Amino acid sequence: MSFATDLIRQVLRVAEAHGAVGVDEVGITIGEMQLIVPEALSTAFEIVARDTVAEGATLTIREEPLEACCRACGRRFAAAIDNYQCPDCGGADVEIVAGRDVVLDSVVCRTPERAQPS
Amino acid sequence: MKIEVVQSVLKADRDTARRTRARLDAAGVVAFNVMSAPGSGKTSLLERTIPALGPDRRSAVLVGDLQTTRDAERLGRSGAQVVQINTGRGCHLSAEQVAEGLDRLDVSALSFVFIENVGNMVCPAGRDLGEHLRVVLLSIPEGDDKVAKYPTLFQPADVILLTKTDLLGVLDYDAGRVRDDLSRINTAAPLIETSVKTGQGMAEWLTWLAARRPGPEP
Repeated sequence: MSFATDLIRQVLRVAEAHGAVGVDEVGITIGEMQLIVPEALSTAFEIVARDTVAEGATLTIREEPLEACCRACGRRFAAAIDNYQCPDCGGADVEIVAGRDVVLDSVVCRTPERAQPS
Repeated sequence: MKIEVVQSVLKADRDTARRTRARLDAAGVVAFNVMSAPGSGKTSLLERTIPALGPDRRSAVLVGDLQTTRDAERLGRSGAQVVQINTGRGCHLSAEQVAEGLDRLDVSALSFVFIENVGNMVCPAGRDLGEHLRVVLLSIPEGDDKVAKYPTLFQPADVILLTKTDLLGVLDYDAGRVRDDLSRINTAAPLIETSVKTGQGMAEWLTWLAARRPGPEP
């Protein structure tokens, strides 16, 4: 739920900065490591978007797989949520380089000119 | 109209965490985010740790719980400055709550700040609170399969404490399984077997802690 709250705050900031009267679509990327269930986030987003310009907006979620970089040998590899072992040196001392963030990619919104075409 | 944003939803949180770290760095304070399931012994560990660190390494605790001030009352008796943060329905501490908690402490008098997170093995893992290091506890009664079950908690840990080892002879527990799981999840963090009841591992833990902020032997 806290992700949804943070997300709607950011969406509304963007919408307001562009003078939007409505939001049709919100595109986000969620990293595998955040263990977010897309359906649960969509439901939470729907709830927090109520009574805002983003009410009814579609949440499009792209999932980003985990990528790690071995601190010992520098090898970059696709890690799994339960396995961070370097395929080259066998250690599991890694920096997570992708798949740990939640990113707001885009907002599709309606501006007054579009909402009321002359 | 499509607006490309490409900004982390966690940005505000991370900015707050970064400011907290900078503030602690300026004061020469090292902060630890202490995480585990409820009942793993976070509070008991800190109750023993803080007095043992001695007057040269003064500590404060920010303690997060959904409800009650029980942990703060216990920790207050150890002589530390303590701030209880009640998260209400929140299942983890946030960077903002930690920053506000720090405002209530005299940071200049401290060496260490322990942030005792809400007992939870999932939600706290992905949140940066402004700490320098992550301490993760796993108690024997929880079972020897938890590292593999909750890898996102153990992967970023800087030290892992296997607690309540006095129960090793009582319960069926294979510490080898924990080490085997860690060989795939985190080989950088030392695993220290501890018991606040028998004192096992406390010297090793205190040595690890003291090395984070050099000074006289604890």
